[in-house]
Amino acid sequence: MTETSRQGDFASLVTEPDPLAVEVEMPSSLMTVNLGPSHPAMHGTVRLAVTLDGETIVDAVPEIGFLHRGFSKSSENSTWHQVLPYTDRLNYVSPVLNNVGYILGVEKLLGIRDTERSQYLRVLAGEISRIADHLTCVGAIGLELGAFTVFLYAIEARELLWDRISELCGARVTVSWTRVGGVATDLPPGWIEKLRECLPRVIELTNEIDVLLTRNRIFIDRTRDIGVISGEEALDWGFTGPCLRASGVNYDVRKAHPYLVYDRMDFEVPLGSRGDTYDRYVMRLEEIRQSHRIIEQCLEQLPPGPIIIDDWRYALPPKKEVFGSIEGVMAHFKLIMEGIQVPAGEVYVYTEGANGELGFHIVSNGKGKPYMISVRGPGFPILAALPRLIKGHAVADLVPVFDSINMIGGEVEQ
Amino acid sequence: MSGAKTVNVEVDGRPVQADSRDNLIEAARRIGVAIPYFCYHPRLSIAAQCRICLVETSDAPGRLVPGCQVRVKEGLKVITTSPAVKDNQRGSMEFHLINHPVDCAICDQSGECKLQDYYMEYDHQPTRIRTYKLNKPKREIFGPLVVYDAERCIMCTRCVRFMDEVAQEPQLAVVNRGDHSLIATFPGQPLDSQYSGNTVDICPVGALLNRDFRFTSRVWFVNKSPTICTGCSNGCNTYLESRGDVAYRLLPRRNEEVNQVWMCDDGRLTYHATNDARVEYARTGKGADTAQVGPQLAVQKAVEMLRPLNGKPGLTIAVSAQCTSEEAAAAFLLGQQFGADRYVLTGKPPGDADEFLIRADKNPNRKGVQLAAKALGVKLSEGLGSSTKALIAFRTDGLDPAMLERLEVFIAVAQNEDAAAQAAQVTLPCTSAYEQDGTLINYAGRLQRVFPAVVARRGDSAPGWLWAERILTGLGFVQEMKSAAAVFAMLAGRSDDLRGLELLQIPDDGIVLQGLAPDDYPKRAPRPVPGGPSVRHPQTTPPGMKVSDEASGGSR
Repeated sequence: MTETSRQGDFASLVTEPDPLAVEVEMPSSLMTVNLGPSHPAMHGTVRLAVTLDGETIVDAVPEIGFLHRGFSKSSENSTWHQVLPYTDRLNYVSPVLNNVGYILGVEKLLGIRDTERSQYLRVLAGEISRIADHLTCVGAIGLELGAFTVFLYAIEARELLWDRISELCGARVTVSWTRVGGVATDLPPGWIEKLRECLPRVIELTNEIDVLLTRNRIFIDRTRDIGVISGEEALDWGFTGPCLRASGVNYDVRKAHPYLVYDRMDFEVPLGSRGDTYDRYVMRLEEIRQSHRIIEQCLEQLPPGPIIIDDWRYALPPKKEVFGSIEGVMAHFKLIMEGIQVPAGEVYVYTEGANGELGFHIVSNGKGKPYMISVRGPGFPILAALPRLIKGHAVADLVPVFDSINMIGGEVEQ
Repeated sequence: MSGAKTVNVEVDGRPVQADSRDNLIEAARRIGVAIPYFCYHPRLSIAAQCRICLVETSDAPGRLVPGCQVRVKEGLKVITTSPAVKDNQRGSMEFHLINHPVDCAICDQSGECKLQDYYMEYDHQPTRIRTYKLNKPKREIFGPLVVYDAERCIMCTRCVRFMDEVAQEPQLAVVNRGDHSLIATFPGQPLDSQYSGNTVDICPVGALLNRDFRFTSRVWFVNKSPTICTGCSNGCNTYLESRGDVAYRLLPRRNEEVNQVWMCDDGRLTYHATNDARVEYARTGKGADTAQVGPQLAVQKAVEMLRPLNGKPGLTIAVSAQCTSEEAAAAFLLGQQFGADRYVLTGKPPGDADEFLIRADKNPNRKGVQLAAKALGVKLSEGLGSSTKALIAFRTDGLDPAMLERLEVFIAVAQNEDAAAQAAQVTLPCTSAYEQDGTLINYAGRLQRVFPAVVARRGDSAPGWLWAERILTGLGFVQEMKSAAAVFAMLAGRSDDLRGLELLQIPDDGIVLQGLAPDDYPKRAPRPVPGGPSVRHPQTTPPGMKVSDEASGGSR
């Protein structure tokens, strides 16, 4: 304190050196402080035990578990479809992407594909969710660096998208929208027009954020060369998604291993060069624009047809059949009470979640309930690298770095 | 059982070592290949009525033969996966469902219905019928335990064949023709056989339903636990289905040497004594002085009443033949330690008997109580006698209320409210045999285990041996009776018949105690096969078979 106050505003008032002043390193002891779990900047309730030497971070130990819900165990006691609501709560900012990832795994075990229209719808809703996720991340970085306007812009845009999601899926966040062999609901009437109206506003708001932050001197000073990680090291840590691409590694599951109809989409994968907080922020902005391109292409190419396969072993019969025919009521009864009979086997499916590779490892023993499900939450390895990213930086840099990795508690702790 | 030899056949390209008496269904079952069937039942004659079990064999390539009717023979190749077989399975399901009502939501069979299982497995197509379904009699009362719904019936005739062949009381028949066919009773002759409940068990659909169980619970809400029927001394192996502290129904469990896969109607109703009119709380005093004081004070009161009697004559221990062997052993130990001078075996009065599964002795464990008495060296007498001044009764069945009036001290360990339970100065609630761990010995000297099939405990209720243990502890005696297994160990250590046995090692289908086996069995009663282990004729249950098929002894 003495050093800084002397060199602060008062420094200019001192005309002559103080003859009694001695240049010495002030002796200090390490101090450990808690950041979180209940701290406004600790999104998703995580605790960081930070060891400080003055203002400098010597070490940090992230402690997770405050949002643990027993995802894997709960899934083992639910039918295949009952697991869906649990997947909503993995990454609760982009739940459709989790729904899609999980249901692709079940479909892979069953050896079936959903209908073509359903594939487009899944991509469409998934990319809307991705934009919502990135907006949340960008807004939070701005908010916690003092740019409250950015946060309001981001949330306004996100609300526009979540309104569309709720019109489509029936809920803003807990959507549980996919089904084995398709999706739960088709586009409501007039929905595409509404989406076409709101998308330009979303892009406009994104551009506003771009203008406010990307060349902002304060923002750049606070994010440039902070939390740097090289591409090679990021791979070693298990980074995927925007955080990996910010370090210059070109890996996007949608391009590397296309699923659904991503191979028919024309979009680019933005890459960073330095792997710092600033690059991770820019990645999000660029991906919002790319997702917008994918959405536009989906709307153009969207084929007519059924949204779910017509096979009563997997998909619930239409209500008319359930109430009016013995075949329908029996299929409904068996699917609800005992679940879809999934052949014994083991799969790992991976999709591009908003924050990286979202993997589901699913084991079936041939029954109506999963034998085991575990999730590769993209945030987990990235959070594990957080101490590596912030070591040596000032304590004030911790929050922007933490924001830029966009840890989501739900997927980190299952 | 002679004449059975191994026959090598091939099912879907996999070799099977089948029994020469196997039909194709049983041969395929040995390697876990399921051939669907409705009308076939391992213990009934073959009808080949439902036509869903048709498979291809190497003997008649390109043609379908009924898997239930065709027996295995050396070198036979069976194909269950060909397009013809699959198409027949689908088509036969479609026909079975033409006139089936949309009843799953109100049908008791939902959840254990073969139509539901096979529809999802072999058909899973929408209906193609555009006409009205046939209307037939619904909820026709067949007899005291059985109600019939003709619309749900698929005319497999299992029930008709069961009544003819197993119950040997032909009370059911098929009437009318074509899709107007019905199962019906004869005029003036209801389905009142003592074995009518089995027709409900073997009905593959919801056509025959148990009136006692109907609309009381959905089948997926109840837990199925193995136990032994307490209705008579035959000791039929059963499953008890329960939820919380309520029992819902009893179903037969397969034991080829005791009850095959059947049980009688009276036995099915024995679970009511576990639900109704229970003594739930420990109490002292009788009539207007009754006070529910909880187990601790009640035992304390019993101990206070007993202590002055130490060393004096006149204490009688009455043990009902409804008690488990453990309860009896603990009761006799109590009497011995404290110095009782008279031991009485009570129980329910004898009733009807037949040559199949129903025994006259309506108590499940007379032989077990007698074995416990012999092991502990006490002599069983008849009646309370005039010298009895004090009485500790373990279960109150068959106690004469008039005799109880003149007792100075009367402590009752009682399961249900009856005159004797009301007359006691201390009444201790006893768990039923369906709620506790222990053993019963049936008329044929077979030692079988009962399990706590109803999990939740009612009020203060505890097994009889635990009350004996608490009273003994109160009186200052030291003993090792902290669990049913410990009481059994105490009993086994003193009994020649049980020597070397442990409670937890008694197999599911029981052990015949050679010293207690009868010389002669009732004419049609199932019995152990001399010189061999228990025979699972005619079919085995391979791993991977559905539990619901195995329920009620694979009779579904």
